[in-house]
Amino acid sequence: MRPLALSIVIAACLAGCASIEPVAPWQKGQLAKPEMGFADDVAGAAYAEHVYSSREAVSGGTRVGGGGCGCN
Amino acid sequence: MAATEHPVAVEKPRSNPALTRDPVSTGALVLSAALALPGLLPAASAEPAPAGGMIGLRNLSYRESQPGLERVGSNSPSLVFLVPLAGEWALSGDLVTDNVSGASPRYHTAISGASQMKDRRNAADLQLKRYLEDGSVSVGLARSNENDYASTALSLQGTVDSKDRNTTLLWGLGGASDTINPVNLAVRNEQRHSIDAMLGVAQVLTPADLVQFSLGYNRGRGYFSDPYKIFDNRPRRLNQTALSAKWNHHFDAADGTSRFSYRYATNSDGVRSHTLGEEYVQAFGEGWSVTPALRYYSQSAARFYVDPIYDPLFGAPFPAGVAIFQHPLLTMDQRLSAFGALTLEAKLARQLSAQWSADLKLARYEQRSAWRWFGRGSPGLAPLTAHWLEIGLYRRW
Repeated sequence: MRPLALSIVIAACLAGCASIEPVAPWQKGQLAKPEMGFADDVAGAAYAEHVYSSREAVSGGTRVGGGGCGCN
Repeated sequence: MAATEHPVAVEKPRSNPALTRDPVSTGALVLSAALALPGLLPAASAEPAPAGGMIGLRNLSYRESQPGLERVGSNSPSLVFLVPLAGEWALSGDLVTDNVSGASPRYHTAISGASQMKDRRNAADLQLKRYLEDGSVSVGLARSNENDYASTALSLQGTVDSKDRNTTLLWGLGGASDTINPVNLAVRNEQRHSIDAMLGVAQVLTPADLVQFSLGYNRGRGYFSDPYKIFDNRPRRLNQTALSAKWNHHFDAADGTSRFSYRYATNSDGVRSHTLGEEYVQAFGEGWSVTPALRYYSQSAARFYVDPIYDPLFGAPFPAGVAIFQHPLLTMDQRLSAFGALTLEAKLARQLSAQWSADLKLARYEQRSAWRWFGRGSPGLAPLTAHWLEIGLYRRW
């Protein structure tokens, strides 16, 4: 994907966020549940990432600084 | 690659009239904070410093095969922990040992002459995090060491929350340096260096919807060939761009949560990939929860991947020949072919008491050239099947 296309996608996402009606603090009961977070099972996600990165050509994309392996 | 990801962010509702109808479990908050290891990007809300710590033991048993060949298997125990420090800091980590053994084809999925291997990999992933009034900053160190491969990675990551705590900007910078010394002496002291950058945004859409978008870029230089595959010669540069989207939705009536994800990624080897994921977390009484999950992945082949053409007289696995001098860049690695892959998963979790919890996950993965999203994939390869079982036990204080 070309940088211009990526920039357009991100700009659209940010513009979309700006037009959203704010959610009040007292409306966030469901959002506070662990499973509503994006990392309720980080260790399990690390296992899965390790398996996929050793068997597929492309991996990651949502993290930085991971250590590599010589998996074959 | 070992994961280096960020903790979950959870904001406890303030002066919340809805709490009388939908109380936020203190145990759930502790669970969320306790599982905040170096990891995934946070949700859009102020992330409190963890009030308590956590230690956990996990084990992964992994086996893979293709028709006629048991391939690589591994057993990987790990220790995970999170320790609050001085009220506004936390140290978290994941220490793992991979005990790997088995066979791996030297080209395509050829069984004859498959290389036998046995190795142990020790890896540590540590993160020190500082919680701020409107966000967080963390530094990470990851180290992985095995018989023929060593890697060191550093990272700096952060979050910035909006005033209303409905939007969180995410950023990260990282770098890694790897050294490769294969036991067959195909190369000596080869190096690989890479830098990472990531930018994202997480947004509360409604009281039941949370989304996240992120853009990641990785730039690598050095040795990317596989020294155990024959004639394998890949470019000494590998750049990757990935665009990810995640959407979590809570169903109040069922007390269940849908978690959808999509990633588009492409790299300078000419590989393009799509990944779709969906899992559904269903809570039951007495601390039980069940999470079925489905993942579909599809990739195109690297531009220098060569399809198998077998000898017309002898058939597979005897190649008719590869004109290696006409292809300065060449690979016959199944991982760089065009294929689709499907994962089916089921996880069972139980909160045993206020301090103890446990989980169990079963997964089945299958990779077939015919399952590629578009086209028929790379012909002539055997399907790859893998199964893994994860068990975890955690103690919080």
